[in-house]
Amino acid sequence: MRPAPALAEGFPDLSGMRIAREPHWFRWISAALIVLVLAAIARAFANGQIEWSYVSRFLTAKVILEGIVNTMVMAVLAMALGIVLGIVVAIMRLSPNPVLKTVAAGYTWLFRGTPLILQLLLWFNLALVFPTIGIPGLWSARAVDVMTPFLAALLGLGINQGAYTSEVMRAGMLSVDIGQYEAAQAIGMGRLRALRRIVLPQAMRVVIPPLGNEFIGMVKATSLASVIQYPELLHNAENIYYANSRVIELLIVAGLWYLLVVSILTPLQMLLERRFARGTLRLAR
Amino acid sequence: MTRLSHFLGLAALAAATSAQAAELPAEIKQAGALKLTVNSTYAPMEYRDPATNELVGLDIDLANELAKRLGGLKIVWSETPFAELIPSLQTRRADFIISGISDRASRRETADFVDYLATGPQFFVMADSAAKDATDLCGKKVGTTRSTSFPVEIEKWSKQNCEAAGKPAIQYVPGENSIDVRNQLKQGRIDAAVQGSETLPYAQSQEPGKYRIVGDAFAKGYQGIMFRKDDAALREVVTEKLAAMIADGAYKAVLDKWGLGANAVEKPMLNAAPQ
Repeated sequence: MRPAPALAEGFPDLSGMRIAREPHWFRWISAALIVLVLAAIARAFANGQIEWSYVSRFLTAKVILEGIVNTMVMAVLAMALGIVLGIVVAIMRLSPNPVLKTVAAGYTWLFRGTPLILQLLLWFNLALVFPTIGIPGLWSARAVDVMTPFLAALLGLGINQGAYTSEVMRAGMLSVDIGQYEAAQAIGMGRLRALRRIVLPQAMRVVIPPLGNEFIGMVKATSLASVIQYPELLHNAENIYYANSRVIELLIVAGLWYLLVVSILTPLQMLLERRFARGTLRLAR
Repeated sequence: MTRLSHFLGLAALAAATSAQAAELPAEIKQAGALKLTVNSTYAPMEYRDPATNELVGLDIDLANELAKRLGGLKIVWSETPFAELIPSLQTRRADFIISGISDRASRRETADFVDYLATGPQFFVMADSAAKDATDLCGKKVGTTRSTSFPVEIEKWSKQNCEAAGKPAIQYVPGENSIDVRNQLKQGRIDAAVQGSETLPYAQSQEPGKYRIVGDAFAKGYQGIMFRKDDAALREVVTEKLAAMIADGAYKAVLDKWGLGANAVEKPMLNAAPQ
Protein backbone atom coordinates (compact mmCIF):
# COMPACT_ATOMS: atom_id res chain seq x y z
CA MET A 1 0.00 0.00 0.00
CA ARG A 2 1.28 3.36 -1.00
CA PRO A 3 1.42 6.09 1.64
CA ALA A 4 -0.94 8.99 1.03
CA PRO A 5 0.85 11.76 -0.85
CA ALA A 6 2.08 14.55 1.35
CA LEU A 7 -0.18 17.61 1.44
CA ALA A 8 1.01 21.11 0.72
CA GLU A 9 1.49 23.52 3.58
CA GLY A 10 -1.79 24.88 5.04
CA PHE A 11 -4.02 22.05 3.80
CA PRO A 12 -5.21 19.74 6.58
CA ASP A 13 -5.21 16.00 5.85
CA LEU A 14 -8.89 14.95 5.59
CA SER A 15 -8.34 11.44 4.32
CA GLY A 16 -8.91 9.84 7.70
CA MET A 17 -12.18 11.64 8.44
CA ARG A 18 -15.58 10.03 8.30
CA ILE A 19 -17.81 11.20 5.47
CA ALA A 20 -20.92 12.77 6.98
CA ARG A 21 -24.20 11.42 5.62
CA GLU A 22 -26.60 13.88 4.13
CA PRO A 23 -29.69 14.02 6.33
CA HIS A 24 -32.23 13.85 3.41
CA TRP A 25 -34.89 15.53 5.53
CA PHE A 26 -37.30 16.00 2.63
CA ARG A 27 -37.00 12.35 1.61
CA TRP A 28 -37.93 11.23 5.12
CA ILE A 29 -40.84 13.63 5.47
CA SER A 30 -42.35 12.84 2.08
CA ALA A 31 -42.02 9.08 2.63
CA ALA A 32 -43.66 9.40 6.05
CA LEU A 33 -46.49 11.47 4.59
CA ILE A 34 -47.15 9.01 1.79
CA VAL A 35 -47.17 6.04 4.19
CA LEU A 36 -49.56 7.95 6.44
CA VAL A 37 -51.94 8.73 3.59
CA LEU A 38 -51.87 5.10 2.39
CA ALA A 39 -52.52 3.88 5.92
CA ALA A 40 -55.43 6.29 6.24
CA ILE A 41 -56.90 5.03 2.96
CA ALA A 42 -56.46 1.40 4.06
CA ARG A 43 -58.06 2.19 7.40
CA ALA A 44 -60.96 3.98 5.72
CA PHE A 45 -61.64 0.91 3.58
CA ALA A 46 -61.27 -1.45 6.53
CA ASN A 47 -63.82 0.57 8.51
CA GLY A 48 -65.99 1.41 5.51
CA GLN A 49 -69.35 -0.17 4.83
CA ILE A 50 -67.95 -3.24 3.11
CA GLU A 51 -68.97 -6.68 4.27
CA TRP A 52 -65.64 -8.41 3.72
CA SER A 53 -67.17 -11.77 4.59
CA TYR A 54 -69.11 -11.55 1.31
CA VAL A 55 -65.89 -10.83 -0.57
CA SER A 56 -64.16 -13.92 0.80
CA ARG A 57 -67.26 -16.07 0.42
CA PHE A 58 -67.80 -15.23 -3.26
CA LEU A 59 -64.13 -15.00 -4.28
CA THR A 60 -64.10 -18.71 -5.09
CA ALA A 61 -67.81 -19.22 -5.75
CA LYS A 62 -68.53 -21.55 -8.64
CA VAL A 63 -70.17 -18.96 -10.90
CA ILE A 64 -67.28 -16.55 -10.35
CA LEU A 65 -64.74 -19.23 -11.30
CA GLU A 66 -66.82 -20.13 -14.35
CA GLY A 67 -66.89 -16.44 -15.18
CA ILE A 68 -63.12 -16.11 -15.08
CA VAL A 69 -62.73 -19.20 -17.28
CA ASN A 70 -65.19 -17.75 -19.80
CA THR A 71 -63.40 -14.41 -19.65
CA MET A 72 -60.05 -16.03 -20.42
CA VAL A 73 -61.43 -18.29 -23.17
CA MET A 74 -63.01 -15.28 -24.85
CA ALA A 75 -59.93 -13.07 -24.40
CA VAL A 76 -57.60 -15.70 -25.93
CA LEU A 77 -59.86 -16.57 -28.86
CA ALA A 78 -60.79 -12.97 -29.66
CA MET A 79 -57.14 -11.93 -29.45
CA ALA A 80 -56.13 -14.82 -31.74
CA LEU A 81 -58.77 -13.73 -34.25
CA GLY A 82 -57.59 -10.14 -33.88
CA ILE A 83 -53.94 -11.05 -34.52
CA VAL A 84 -54.74 -13.14 -37.61
CA LEU A 85 -56.92 -10.35 -39.00
CA GLY A 86 -54.33 -7.76 -37.98
CA ILE A 87 -51.49 -9.50 -39.85
CA VAL A 88 -53.59 -10.01 -42.97
CA VAL A 89 -54.86 -6.43 -42.97
CA ALA A 90 -51.38 -4.99 -42.32
CA ILE A 91 -49.98 -6.95 -45.27
CA MET A 92 -52.89 -5.78 -47.44
CA ARG A 93 -52.31 -2.22 -46.28
CA LEU A 94 -48.66 -2.32 -47.34
CA SER A 95 -49.45 -4.05 -50.61
CA PRO A 96 -48.92 -2.25 -53.92
CA ASN A 97 -52.42 -3.38 -55.02
CA PRO A 98 -54.76 -0.33 -54.63
CA VAL A 99 -57.89 -2.47 -54.07
CA LEU A 100 -56.32 -4.42 -51.21
CA LYS A 101 -54.92 -1.21 -49.78
CA THR A 102 -58.29 0.57 -49.82
CA VAL A 103 -60.22 -2.38 -48.39
CA ALA A 104 -57.70 -2.67 -45.57
CA ALA A 105 -57.87 1.03 -44.80
CA GLY A 106 -61.68 0.89 -44.93
CA TYR A 107 -61.79 -2.02 -42.47
CA THR A 108 -59.61 -0.18 -39.98
CA TRP A 109 -61.68 2.98 -40.44
CA LEU A 110 -65.00 1.20 -39.86
CA PHE A 111 -64.14 -0.95 -36.86
CA ARG A 112 -61.87 1.54 -35.13
CA GLY A 113 -64.37 4.30 -35.76
CA THR A 114 -67.34 2.87 -33.88
CA PRO A 115 -67.55 1.99 -30.17
CA LEU A 116 -66.94 -1.63 -29.25
CA ILE A 117 -70.16 -1.88 -27.24
CA LEU A 118 -72.14 -0.71 -30.29
CA GLN A 119 -70.52 -3.41 -32.44
CA LEU A 120 -71.32 -6.06 -29.83
CA LEU A 121 -74.98 -5.01 -29.75
CA LEU A 122 -75.11 -5.07 -33.57
CA TRP A 123 -73.72 -8.61 -33.78
CA PHE A 124 -76.04 -9.80 -31.02
CA ASN A 125 -79.12 -8.30 -32.69
CA LEU A 126 -78.15 -9.28 -36.23
CA ALA A 127 -81.17 -11.57 -36.46
CA LEU A 128 -83.41 -8.48 -36.48
CA VAL A 129 -81.90 -7.76 -39.92
CA PHE A 130 -81.36 -11.31 -41.17
CA PRO A 131 -83.74 -13.81 -39.51
CA THR A 132 -82.07 -16.68 -41.35
CA ILE A 133 -78.56 -16.89 -42.68
CA GLY A 134 -76.81 -19.43 -44.87
CA ILE A 135 -75.45 -20.28 -48.29
CA PRO A 136 -78.29 -20.32 -50.86
CA GLY A 137 -79.17 -23.87 -51.82
CA LEU A 138 -76.62 -25.46 -49.52
CA TRP A 139 -77.28 -24.66 -45.94
CA SER A 140 -79.34 -22.25 -43.88
CA ALA A 141 -80.12 -21.72 -40.21
CA ARG A 142 -81.94 -19.37 -37.91
CA ALA A 143 -79.57 -16.47 -37.30
CA VAL A 144 -80.06 -16.68 -33.52
CA ASP A 145 -78.96 -20.32 -33.46
CA VAL A 146 -75.69 -19.27 -35.08
CA MET A 147 -75.22 -15.89 -33.46
CA THR A 148 -75.10 -17.09 -29.86
CA PRO A 149 -73.84 -14.69 -27.21
CA PHE A 150 -70.50 -16.52 -27.49
CA LEU A 151 -70.16 -16.00 -31.24
CA ALA A 152 -71.47 -12.43 -31.12
CA ALA A 153 -68.88 -11.60 -28.46
CA LEU A 154 -66.10 -13.37 -30.36
CA LEU A 155 -66.86 -11.58 -33.63
CA GLY A 156 -67.40 -8.22 -31.98
CA LEU A 157 -64.24 -8.33 -29.86
CA GLY A 158 -62.04 -10.11 -32.43
CA ILE A 159 -62.91 -7.99 -35.45
CA ASN A 160 -62.58 -4.79 -33.46
CA GLN A 161 -59.24 -5.99 -32.13
CA GLY A 162 -58.12 -6.79 -35.68
CA ALA A 163 -58.46 -3.13 -36.63
CA TYR A 164 -56.16 -2.05 -33.81
CA THR A 165 -53.74 -4.96 -34.23
CA SER A 166 -53.33 -4.22 -37.93
CA GLU A 167 -51.85 -0.85 -37.02
CA VAL A 168 -49.51 -2.46 -34.48
CA MET A 169 -48.42 -5.00 -37.11
CA ARG A 170 -47.97 -2.31 -39.73
CA ALA A 171 -45.76 -0.37 -37.35
CA GLY A 172 -43.72 -3.53 -36.71
CA MET A 173 -43.27 -4.19 -40.41
CA LEU A 174 -42.30 -0.58 -41.07
CA SER A 175 -39.70 -0.82 -38.31
CA VAL A 176 -37.76 -3.44 -40.28
CA ASP A 177 -35.03 -1.77 -42.31
CA ILE A 178 -35.85 -1.31 -45.98
CA GLY A 179 -32.50 -2.94 -46.78
CA GLN A 180 -33.92 -6.23 -45.53
CA TYR A 181 -36.68 -6.13 -48.19
CA GLU A 182 -34.18 -5.21 -50.84
CA ALA A 183 -31.76 -7.96 -49.85
CA ALA A 184 -34.61 -10.52 -49.90
CA GLN A 185 -35.62 -9.37 -53.35
CA ALA A 186 -32.01 -9.47 -54.52
CA ILE A 187 -31.75 -13.16 -53.70
CA GLY A 188 -34.99 -13.80 -55.58
CA MET A 189 -37.63 -14.02 -52.83
CA GLY A 190 -41.18 -12.97 -53.70
CA ARG A 191 -42.98 -10.38 -51.59
CA LEU A 192 -44.99 -12.79 -49.44
CA ARG A 193 -42.04 -15.14 -48.94
CA ALA A 194 -39.84 -12.24 -47.89
CA LEU A 195 -42.52 -11.12 -45.48
CA ARG A 196 -42.86 -14.56 -43.95
CA ARG A 197 -39.18 -15.45 -43.76
CA ILE A 198 -37.41 -12.14 -43.28
CA VAL A 199 -39.68 -9.28 -42.24
CA LEU A 200 -42.32 -10.72 -39.91
CA PRO A 201 -39.85 -12.55 -37.62
CA GLN A 202 -38.00 -9.29 -37.11
CA ALA A 203 -41.21 -7.32 -36.73
CA MET A 204 -42.37 -9.69 -33.96
CA ARG A 205 -39.71 -8.35 -31.62
CA VAL A 206 -41.15 -4.87 -31.97
CA VAL A 207 -44.83 -5.78 -31.79
CA ILE A 208 -44.77 -7.99 -28.69
CA PRO A 209 -44.85 -5.15 -26.11
CA PRO A 210 -47.78 -3.33 -27.74
CA LEU A 211 -49.58 -6.65 -28.35
CA GLY A 212 -49.15 -7.57 -24.69
CA ASN A 213 -50.70 -4.23 -23.90
CA GLU A 214 -53.60 -4.94 -26.24
CA PHE A 215 -54.15 -8.40 -24.75
CA ILE A 216 -54.39 -6.98 -21.25
CA GLY A 217 -56.90 -4.51 -22.67
CA MET A 218 -58.79 -7.41 -24.24
CA VAL A 219 -59.08 -9.30 -20.93
CA LYS A 220 -60.91 -6.32 -19.52
CA ALA A 221 -62.84 -5.51 -22.71
CA THR A 222 -64.56 -8.92 -22.49
CA SER A 223 -66.57 -7.42 -19.63
CA LEU A 224 -68.49 -5.41 -22.24
CA ALA A 225 -69.89 -8.70 -23.50
CA SER A 226 -71.90 -8.82 -20.27
CA VAL A 227 -74.54 -6.68 -22.00
CA ILE A 228 -75.10 -9.40 -24.62
CA GLN A 229 -75.39 -12.06 -21.91
CA TYR A 230 -72.03 -13.74 -22.42
CA PRO A 231 -71.47 -15.23 -18.95
CA GLU A 232 -68.03 -13.74 -18.29
CA LEU A 233 -66.69 -12.58 -14.94
CA LEU A 234 -68.46 -9.23 -14.59
CA HIS A 235 -71.76 -10.64 -15.90
CA ASN A 236 -71.74 -13.37 -13.27
CA ALA A 237 -70.69 -11.02 -10.48
CA GLU A 238 -73.55 -8.70 -11.46
CA ASN A 239 -76.02 -11.57 -11.38
CA ILE A 240 -75.01 -12.25 -7.79
CA TYR A 241 -75.42 -8.67 -6.66
CA TYR A 242 -78.70 -8.33 -8.53
CA ALA A 243 -79.91 -11.02 -6.14
CA ASN A 244 -78.22 -10.05 -2.87
CA SER A 245 -77.57 -6.30 -3.32
CA ARG A 246 -73.91 -6.60 -2.19
CA VAL A 247 -72.73 -4.42 -5.06
CA ILE A 248 -69.34 -3.21 -3.83
CA GLU A 249 -68.43 -6.61 -2.40
CA LEU A 250 -69.00 -8.40 -5.71
CA LEU A 251 -67.27 -5.66 -7.70
CA ILE A 252 -64.25 -6.12 -5.43
CA VAL A 253 -64.36 -9.87 -6.09
CA ALA A 254 -64.36 -9.33 -9.85
CA GLY A 255 -61.69 -6.63 -9.59
CA LEU A 256 -59.36 -8.92 -7.62
CA TRP A 257 -59.66 -11.62 -10.29
CA TYR A 258 -58.91 -9.19 -13.12
CA LEU A 259 -55.86 -7.95 -11.19
CA LEU A 260 -54.66 -11.50 -10.59
CA VAL A 261 -54.95 -12.42 -14.26
CA VAL A 262 -53.10 -9.30 -15.38
CA SER A 263 -50.39 -9.92 -12.76
CA ILE A 264 -49.82 -13.39 -14.23
CA LEU A 265 -49.82 -12.09 -17.80
CA THR A 266 -47.10 -9.50 -17.27
CA PRO A 267 -44.20 -11.94 -16.62
CA LEU A 268 -45.51 -14.18 -19.42
CA GLN A 269 -45.18 -11.27 -21.79
CA MET A 270 -41.55 -10.81 -20.69
CA LEU A 271 -40.78 -14.46 -21.43
CA LEU A 272 -42.30 -14.07 -24.88
CA GLU A 273 -40.31 -10.89 -25.51
CA ARG A 274 -37.11 -12.66 -24.58
CA ARG A 275 -37.84 -15.48 -27.02
CA PHE A 276 -38.46 -13.20 -29.98
CA ALA A 277 -35.43 -11.05 -29.09
CA ARG A 278 -33.00 -14.01 -29.21
CA GLY A 279 -31.13 -12.45 -32.12
CA THR A 280 -30.48 -9.15 -30.39
CA LEU A 281 -30.14 -10.22 -26.77
CA ARG A 282 -27.01 -12.29 -27.34
CA LEU A 283 -24.88 -9.16 -27.22
CA ALA A 284 -26.40 -7.98 -23.97
CA ARG A 285 -25.92 -11.30 -22.21
CA MET B 1 -108.17 13.17 38.80
CA THR B 2 -109.90 11.69 35.80
CA ARG B 3 -110.15 15.14 34.41
CA LEU B 4 -106.48 15.68 34.87
CA SER B 5 -105.64 12.38 33.20
CA HIS B 6 -107.98 13.25 30.33
CA PHE B 7 -106.26 16.55 29.99
CA LEU B 8 -102.83 14.92 30.08
CA GLY B 9 -104.00 12.39 27.55
CA LEU B 10 -105.23 15.11 25.25
CA ALA B 11 -101.99 17.01 25.63
CA ALA B 12 -100.03 13.88 24.83
CA LEU B 13 -102.26 13.24 21.82
CA ALA B 14 -101.75 16.79 20.61
CA ALA B 15 -98.00 16.45 21.03
CA ALA B 16 -98.07 13.14 19.19
CA THR B 17 -100.09 14.47 16.28
CA SER B 18 -97.92 17.53 15.92
CA ALA B 19 -94.90 15.23 15.85
CA GLN B 20 -96.74 13.10 13.31
CA ALA B 21 -97.51 15.96 10.98
CA ALA B 22 -94.37 14.85 9.26
CA GLU B 23 -91.87 17.45 8.21
CA LEU B 24 -89.59 17.50 5.23
CA PRO B 25 -85.94 16.89 6.21
CA ALA B 26 -84.17 20.23 6.59
CA GLU B 27 -81.65 19.37 3.89
CA ILE B 28 -84.33 19.00 1.20
CA LYS B 29 -86.26 22.02 2.43
CA GLN B 30 -83.14 24.13 2.24
CA ALA B 31 -82.23 22.92 -1.25
CA GLY B 32 -85.80 23.45 -2.42
CA ALA B 33 -85.34 20.42 -4.63
CA LEU B 34 -85.71 16.65 -4.63
CA LYS B 35 -82.97 14.51 -6.16
CA LEU B 36 -84.64 11.59 -7.93
CA THR B 37 -83.03 8.82 -9.96
CA VAL B 38 -84.86 6.65 -12.48
CA ASN B 39 -84.05 3.87 -14.91
CA SER B 40 -85.73 5.28 -18.00
CA THR B 41 -86.07 2.04 -19.96
CA TYR B 42 -89.45 1.02 -18.57
CA ALA B 43 -92.27 2.65 -20.50
CA PRO B 44 -94.85 3.74 -19.55
CA MET B 45 -93.54 4.02 -15.99
CA GLU B 46 -90.56 6.15 -16.99
CA TYR B 47 -88.98 6.65 -20.37
CA ARG B 48 -87.65 9.35 -22.62
CA ASP B 49 -90.22 10.56 -25.10
CA PRO B 50 -88.70 9.71 -28.50
CA ALA B 51 -89.93 13.01 -29.97
CA THR B 52 -88.86 15.42 -27.24
CA ASN B 53 -86.29 13.44 -25.24
CA GLU B 54 -88.17 14.56 -22.11
CA LEU B 55 -88.47 12.16 -19.19
CA VAL B 56 -92.12 11.12 -19.12
CA GLY B 57 -94.23 8.40 -17.57
CA LEU B 58 -96.55 7.47 -14.76
CA ASP B 59 -93.85 7.65 -12.10
CA ILE B 60 -92.66 11.00 -13.43
CA ASP B 61 -96.19 12.43 -13.21
CA LEU B 62 -96.70 11.08 -9.70
CA ALA B 63 -93.35 12.48 -8.58
CA ASN B 64 -94.12 15.88 -10.06
CA GLU B 65 -97.46 15.99 -8.25
CA LEU B 66 -95.80 14.90 -4.99
CA ALA B 67 -93.11 17.57 -5.35
CA LYS B 68 -95.78 20.21 -5.90
CA ARG B 69 -97.56 19.14 -2.72
CA LEU B 70 -94.32 19.03 -0.73
CA GLY B 71 -94.15 22.81 -0.97
CA GLY B 72 -93.40 23.33 -4.63
CA LEU B 73 -90.09 21.52 -4.70
CA LYS B 74 -88.15 21.31 -7.93
CA ILE B 75 -87.00 17.86 -9.05
CA VAL B 76 -83.45 17.24 -10.19
CA TRP B 77 -83.66 14.05 -12.25
CA SER B 78 -80.82 11.67 -12.94
CA GLU B 79 -80.71 8.31 -14.68
CA THR B 80 -79.04 5.01 -13.96
CA PRO B 81 -79.22 1.32 -14.92
CA PHE B 82 -81.93 -0.57 -13.05
CA ALA B 83 -79.40 -2.45 -10.92
CA GLU B 84 -77.87 0.83 -9.71
CA LEU B 85 -81.14 2.18 -8.31
CA ILE B 86 -80.58 0.74 -4.83
CA PRO B 87 -76.93 1.91 -4.67
CA SER B 88 -78.11 5.37 -5.79
CA LEU B 89 -80.45 5.45 -2.82
CA GLN B 90 -77.84 4.15 -0.39
CA THR B 91 -75.19 6.61 -1.51
CA ARG B 92 -77.75 9.46 -1.16
CA ARG B 93 -77.52 10.31 -4.84
CA ALA B 94 -81.31 10.06 -4.73
CA ASP B 95 -83.64 11.17 -1.92
CA PHE B 96 -86.04 8.37 -2.76
CA ILE B 97 -86.63 6.08 -5.73
CA ILE B 98 -89.83 5.96 -7.73
CA SER B 99 -88.87 3.92 -10.77
CA GLY B 100 -91.07 0.91 -11.43
CA ILE B 101 -89.33 -1.13 -8.75
CA SER B 102 -91.14 -4.06 -7.15
CA ASP B 103 -91.43 -4.28 -3.38
CA ARG B 104 -89.48 -7.51 -2.69
CA ALA B 105 -88.47 -8.96 0.67
CA SER B 106 -84.86 -9.26 -0.51
CA ARG B 107 -84.77 -5.52 -1.16
CA ARG B 108 -86.31 -4.64 2.22
CA GLU B 109 -82.96 -5.41 3.84
CA THR B 110 -81.69 -2.14 2.45
CA ALA B 111 -84.82 -0.04 1.96
CA ASP B 112 -88.44 0.57 2.95
CA PHE B 113 -91.17 0.51 0.33
CA VAL B 114 -94.29 2.65 0.21
CA ASP B 115 -96.40 0.55 -2.14
CA TYR B 116 -98.40 2.57 -4.65
CA LEU B 117 -99.25 0.40 -7.67
CA ALA B 118 -100.46 -3.16 -8.14
CA THR B 119 -98.28 -5.20 -10.46
CA GLY B 120 -97.23 -8.70 -11.30
CA PRO B 121 -94.96 -10.51 -13.70
CA GLN B 122 -96.76 -11.35 -16.94
CA PHE B 123 -95.89 -13.84 -19.69
CA PHE B 124 -96.19 -12.69 -23.28
CA VAL B 125 -95.29 -14.18 -26.65
CA MET B 126 -95.16 -13.15 -30.30
CA ALA B 127 -98.69 -12.97 -31.73
CA ASP B 128 -98.10 -16.01 -33.97
CA SER B 129 -96.84 -18.25 -31.15
CA ALA B 130 -98.54 -21.58 -30.57
CA ALA B 131 -98.64 -21.06 -26.79
CA LYS B 132 -102.21 -20.64 -25.54
CA ASP B 133 -101.75 -21.13 -21.82
CA ALA B 134 -98.98 -20.24 -19.41
CA THR B 135 -98.37 -23.96 -18.87
CA ASP B 136 -97.61 -24.31 -22.59
CA LEU B 137 -94.39 -22.48 -21.74
CA CYS B 138 -93.05 -25.33 -19.57
CA GLY B 139 -89.74 -26.51 -21.01
CA LYS B 140 -89.54 -23.43 -23.23
CA LYS B 141 -87.04 -20.57 -23.19
CA VAL B 142 -88.41 -17.57 -21.31
CA GLY B 143 -86.46 -14.34 -21.12
CA THR B 144 -86.62 -11.39 -18.75
CA THR B 145 -84.45 -8.56 -17.44
CA ARG B 146 -81.77 -10.18 -15.33
CA SER B 147 -81.43 -7.31 -12.81
CA THR B 148 -85.10 -7.57 -11.75
CA SER B 149 -86.91 -9.90 -9.37
CA PHE B 150 -88.57 -11.68 -12.31
CA PRO B 151 -85.96 -14.46 -12.80
CA VAL B 152 -86.64 -15.71 -9.26
CA GLU B 153 -90.40 -15.43 -9.73
CA ILE B 154 -90.28 -17.37 -13.01
CA GLU B 155 -88.30 -20.13 -11.34
CA LYS B 156 -90.79 -20.28 -8.48
CA TRP B 157 -93.76 -20.38 -10.87
CA SER B 158 -92.08 -23.07 -12.95
CA LYS B 159 -91.51 -25.23 -9.86
CA GLN B 160 -95.16 -24.97 -8.82
CA ASN B 161 -96.80 -25.25 -12.23
CA CYS B 162 -94.41 -27.16 -14.49
CA GLU B 163 -92.21 -29.41 -12.39
CA ALA B 164 -94.96 -30.21 -9.85
CA ALA B 165 -97.10 -31.40 -12.78
CA GLY B 166 -94.29 -33.54 -14.14
CA LYS B 167 -93.52 -31.17 -17.02
CA PRO B 168 -90.04 -29.88 -17.88
CA ALA B 169 -89.00 -26.66 -16.16
CA ILE B 170 -88.92 -23.29 -17.90
CA GLN B 171 -85.45 -22.41 -19.20
CA TYR B 172 -84.66 -18.88 -18.07
CA VAL B 173 -82.69 -16.71 -20.50
CA PRO B 174 -81.24 -13.42 -19.21
CA GLY B 175 -81.74 -10.06 -20.91
CA GLU B 176 -80.33 -6.61 -20.22
CA ASN B 177 -83.57 -4.57 -20.09
CA SER B 178 -87.13 -4.85 -21.39
CA ILE B 179 -86.21 -3.58 -24.87
CA ASP B 180 -83.41 -6.13 -25.13
CA VAL B 181 -85.78 -8.87 -23.97
CA ARG B 182 -88.38 -7.95 -26.59
CA ASN B 183 -85.60 -7.92 -29.22
CA GLN B 184 -84.62 -11.43 -28.17
CA LEU B 185 -88.27 -12.45 -28.49
CA LYS B 186 -88.52 -10.98 -32.00
CA GLN B 187 -85.34 -12.74 -33.08
CA GLY B 188 -86.59 -16.04 -31.71
CA ARG B 189 -83.83 -16.35 -29.12
CA ILE B 190 -86.59 -16.95 -26.59
CA ASP B 191 -90.10 -18.41 -26.88
CA ALA B 192 -91.74 -16.09 -24.37
CA ALA B 193 -90.87 -13.11 -22.21
CA VAL B 194 -91.83 -11.65 -18.86
CA GLN B 195 -92.42 -8.01 -17.99
CA GLY B 196 -94.39 -6.23 -15.29
CA SER B 197 -98.06 -6.33 -16.24
CA GLU B 198 -98.23 -2.52 -15.97
CA THR B 199 -95.80 -2.06 -18.88
CA LEU B 200 -97.38 -4.38 -21.44
CA PRO B 201 -100.30 -2.23 -22.66
CA TYR B 202 -97.78 0.44 -23.68
CA ALA B 203 -95.41 -2.03 -25.37
CA GLN B 204 -98.37 -3.43 -27.32
CA SER B 205 -99.56 0.04 -28.34
CA GLN B 206 -96.10 0.81 -29.76
CA GLU B 207 -96.01 -2.29 -31.93
CA PRO B 208 -99.66 -3.14 -32.56
CA GLY B 209 -100.48 -6.79 -33.18
CA LYS B 210 -96.95 -7.96 -32.44
CA TYR B 211 -97.30 -9.45 -28.98
CA ARG B 212 -99.91 -11.56 -27.23
CA ILE B 213 -100.37 -11.82 -23.49
CA VAL B 214 -100.51 -15.37 -22.10
CA GLY B 215 -102.47 -16.02 -18.92
CA ASP B 216 -102.77 -13.56 -16.04
CA ALA B 217 -100.04 -11.84 -14.09
CA PHE B 218 -98.65 -14.85 -12.25
CA ALA B 219 -97.80 -13.30 -8.91
CA LYS B 220 -99.48 -10.46 -7.08
CA GLY B 221 -97.20 -7.69 -6.00
CA TYR B 222 -96.78 -3.96 -5.65
CA GLN B 223 -94.41 -1.39 -6.93
CA GLY B 224 -93.07 0.77 -4.17
CA ILE B 225 -91.43 4.11 -3.63
CA MET B 226 -88.15 3.17 -2.02
CA PHE B 227 -86.73 5.05 0.99
CA ARG B 228 -83.58 4.67 3.05
CA LYS B 229 -84.26 2.84 6.31
CA ASP B 230 -83.03 5.82 8.35
CA ASP B 231 -85.18 8.29 6.46
CA ALA B 232 -88.52 7.73 8.19
CA ALA B 233 -89.38 11.44 8.26
CA LEU B 234 -89.23 11.78 4.49
CA ARG B 235 -91.05 8.48 4.05
CA GLU B 236 -93.91 9.64 6.28
CA VAL B 237 -94.35 13.01 4.69
CA VAL B 238 -94.41 11.46 1.19
CA THR B 239 -96.86 8.77 2.36
CA GLU B 240 -99.12 11.51 3.72
CA LYS B 241 -99.11 13.43 0.45
CA LEU B 242 -99.65 10.26 -1.57
CA ALA B 243 -102.65 9.35 0.62
CA ALA B 244 -104.06 12.82 -0.01
CA MET B 245 -103.55 12.39 -3.77
CA ILE B 246 -105.42 9.10 -3.67
CA ALA B 247 -108.23 10.69 -1.64
CA ASP B 248 -108.74 13.70 -3.92
CA GLY B 249 -108.46 11.85 -7.24
CA ALA B 250 -105.16 13.29 -8.48
CA TYR B 251 -103.61 9.83 -8.21
CA LYS B 252 -106.40 8.20 -10.21
CA ALA B 253 -106.12 10.87 -12.90
CA VAL B 254 -102.43 10.06 -13.44
CA LEU B 255 -103.11 6.32 -13.60
CA ASP B 256 -105.96 6.80 -16.05
CA LYS B 257 -103.79 9.01 -18.23
CA TRP B 258 -101.43 6.04 -18.69
CA GLY B 259 -104.23 3.49 -19.05
CA LEU B 260 -103.43 1.80 -15.75
CA GLY B 261 -106.48 2.74 -13.67
CA ALA B 262 -107.01 -0.96 -12.95
CA ASN B 263 -103.66 -1.13 -11.13
CA ALA B 264 -104.64 1.47 -8.51
CA VAL B 265 -104.22 0.81 -4.78
CA GLU B 266 -106.69 2.03 -2.14
CA LYS B 267 -104.04 3.57 0.10
CA PRO B 268 -100.26 3.71 0.35
CA MET B 269 -98.93 0.66 2.23
CA LEU B 270 -95.61 0.12 3.96
CA ASN B 271 -93.67 -3.00 2.86
CA ALA B 272 -96.95 -4.76 2.10
CA ALA B 273 -96.34 -6.81 -1.04
CA PRO B 274 -96.99 -10.51 -0.44
CA GLN B 275 -93.95 -12.63 -1.25
